[in-house]
Amino acid sequence: MSEISRRSFLKISARLAAMMGLSSSALPQIADALEQIAAKMAPVIWIQAQSCSGCSISLLNSDHPGPAEIITQYISLLFHSNISTTTGHQCMEVISKTVGQGDFLLAVEGSVPRGMPNACKMGEKTISEQIIAASKKAKAVIAVGTCASFGGIPAAENNPTGAISIPALFKNESISTPLISLPGCPIHPDWLIGTLIHVIKFGIPPVDDKGRPKMFYKKLIHDQCPRFTDYEREKFAKSFLEEGCLFKLGCIGALTYADCTIRQWNSGTNSCIRAGAPCIGCASEHFASKADFALYPRNIINSTQQKKG
Amino acid sequence: MSKITIDPITRIEGHLGVNLDIEANRVVNAYCAGEMFRGFEVILKGRDPLDAQQITQRICGVCPVSHGMASVLAQDAAFSISPPENGRIGRNLIQAANYIQSHILHFYHLAALDFVDITAVANYQGTDPQLLGVKAWIKSQIASGVPHPAAPFLPRYTGNYIENSELNCLAVKHYLEALEMRTLAHKMATIFAGKMPHVASIMPGGITERITADKIAAYSSMLRKLQVFINEAYVPDVLEVAKAFPEYFNQGKGCGNFLSYGVFPESSKGKKLFPAGVIIGGKPSEFEEGKITEEIAYSFYSSASGLRPAGGETVPDASKSKAYSWIKAPRYGGQVVEVGPLARVLVAYGKGEDTKLKGLVEKVLSALDKKPNDLVSVLGRHGARAIECKLLADRISDWLDQLKPGEPSYSEFNVPSSGSGAGLTEAPRGALGHWITLKDGKIGSYQCVVPTTWNCSPRDDKGNPGPVEQALAGTSIADEKNPIEAARIVRSFDPCIACAVH
Repeated sequence: MSEISRRSFLKISARLAAMMGLSSSALPQIADALEQIAAKMAPVIWIQAQSCSGCSISLLNSDHPGPAEIITQYISLLFHSNISTTTGHQCMEVISKTVGQGDFLLAVEGSVPRGMPNACKMGEKTISEQIIAASKKAKAVIAVGTCASFGGIPAAENNPTGAISIPALFKNESISTPLISLPGCPIHPDWLIGTLIHVIKFGIPPVDDKGRPKMFYKKLIHDQCPRFTDYEREKFAKSFLEEGCLFKLGCIGALTYADCTIRQWNSGTNSCIRAGAPCIGCASEHFASKADFALYPRNIINSTQQKKG
Repeated sequence: MSKITIDPITRIEGHLGVNLDIEANRVVNAYCAGEMFRGFEVILKGRDPLDAQQITQRICGVCPVSHGMASVLAQDAAFSISPPENGRIGRNLIQAANYIQSHILHFYHLAALDFVDITAVANYQGTDPQLLGVKAWIKSQIASGVPHPAAPFLPRYTGNYIENSELNCLAVKHYLEALEMRTLAHKMATIFAGKMPHVASIMPGGITERITADKIAAYSSMLRKLQVFINEAYVPDVLEVAKAFPEYFNQGKGCGNFLSYGVFPESSKGKKLFPAGVIIGGKPSEFEEGKITEEIAYSFYSSASGLRPAGGETVPDASKSKAYSWIKAPRYGGQVVEVGPLARVLVAYGKGEDTKLKGLVEKVLSALDKKPNDLVSVLGRHGARAIECKLLADRISDWLDQLKPGEPSYSEFNVPSSGSGAGLTEAPRGALGHWITLKDGKIGSYQCVVPTTWNCSPRDDKGNPGPVEQALAGTSIADEKNPIEAARIVRSFDPCIACAVH
């Protein structure tokens, strides 16, 4: 905490002490308390690039803590396009002032259109120049979702905008700010909140070679699958409504690192595989990347016996 | 003449900038610029058709279900299949849950803070623990001397917010409850969807999740909680905002033409809960798919203009000189039309077949002493959204009763090597269409015309402005530095730019 803020905390403490009828000897303690409150509230700027807002909506689905608790007790969410009351030029002022001061966390949702900079703009500037400027001044950057972490669908084969991930942007621009990747389409709210709290309270969490926190991405979906015993017994579903391992219907849980089969979605309500749908690898670096890699390969489906009902 | 640029417009989905030409404090011309392009239609070409329902859901994280639905409807048509009853109803249940989620999110979290004064909570005198928590937070934020206290709720445009502090505090309380309610609505969808946002279970031929009694009971229990919130908070709060800002029944009228494709099929081949229809110049007519075209004179594309979506093209040209938006300009028989809850409610009201809808619309109008024509306005859009949300929530329990546990929710199919199909449905924000053609069993072409493509369209080839542009024209802006009037008009359409451009 800089001297300037310490002075401003002492000034406010004097006002509060006067209000509460306390002697001046209490000032340092009050200033400490205020500093703690402000320090706990890590400033966060959230920038959406080539995104669908799905990760933001998924974050709102967090139950404990809920979004209101997150905003009032953990972070100071200075800008988020879907939630901020501020509009237009005010937004750009909040962002530029915060970036100018440094000492904030940056969350980026979506990929960056490196080959066509005008394909994503905000406040009359390209998103790519804004992300580069903010990343250089941020304490740490969180790439939220598969698009930001790996490029995702906007960066898929044949894409017209030359979209790239945030790690790729960092490499191109030689940015050395600590970067954490949270793939998933969308992210699970627990992955983001767990990571944020870890960064704020304990520092950068241990990550793997792709920058993913090990606490969430250490194991394969397949190894934690509710149908794992079906796989071991070689009982394979041949139609979407059948019981059994979904491997022959295109499941790529054996290639995808994430814990959603055990954590489940929407506060433990359900998961893709539990709902009879193969894992499409939405948290994988390969998600939708190749045009000829079908999510539900028909050569497998069509070769199986037709089952009505 | 002066200019106002509102960029970014926050509390919507995506990247929208609005430029206004101002003369004597009045908007003369408005320009809506969609500022983000990914190229979904280009990326889908040559892929397996079944990829489309997963990939197109990622067009939008607020209404992925509707894209998944439009995609499987297009594929059902192209493969000549139809889902079993459990599949049809299961799809309705997933989509209905997301409608409720989206409408609650829109009113409370996207639109309400243009009307409600959240700072009133700083002087809250009651005993509600949640509001006392917010009060303590606002006070500590201001006392801490941080540069932007009470973010993300401040700073904001200065303007005329609600003055009744009790009403403001109640609205803030409901803002907080609404966070839990929209989360609950997503959970409700997830019972049959597997995951939200971005549904796992929707497939051509039905849904992969099986229908069981425990799921029906869980959905039903969550629905009842949502119905209480809709009846006790959402609908009354919209009425309170309408009473506090009656002038917004005269603001943001727009083009006055309306289009609905219809949504929520009540049987495999038959009527829908909200019917298809068109109103042009006040005259109702039946919807004809062949009348839809997309023009691109002012959009960043070099492909041909005026194409029908079934033969549509998407060739980006980021440096096109006359262009100012990535959004195309869809037109219906050459006309500018508005889509969304207001269009659905007016089309259904005009048909007069749904007595519950008619009754509810008239109840709301008489409570506010307004006529049906007054609905064509900022407040009419909020009102229509709330009316629709209540009607839908009330209808769902009948669908739950029609489910048959143990019966299939999905039918097998073969993918032909050639064929085509249109999937027409309604997203929470309005008319949504996907058009697929198959070539050698792969996607030959794929086109999406999305609600906000209609509503936030730029000028068309003839220079006619889009619906939001028309709604802004003529608006008085009291303070050019704080154009809150324009923001209120834009937000009443619930724009989704990731959808509009895709």
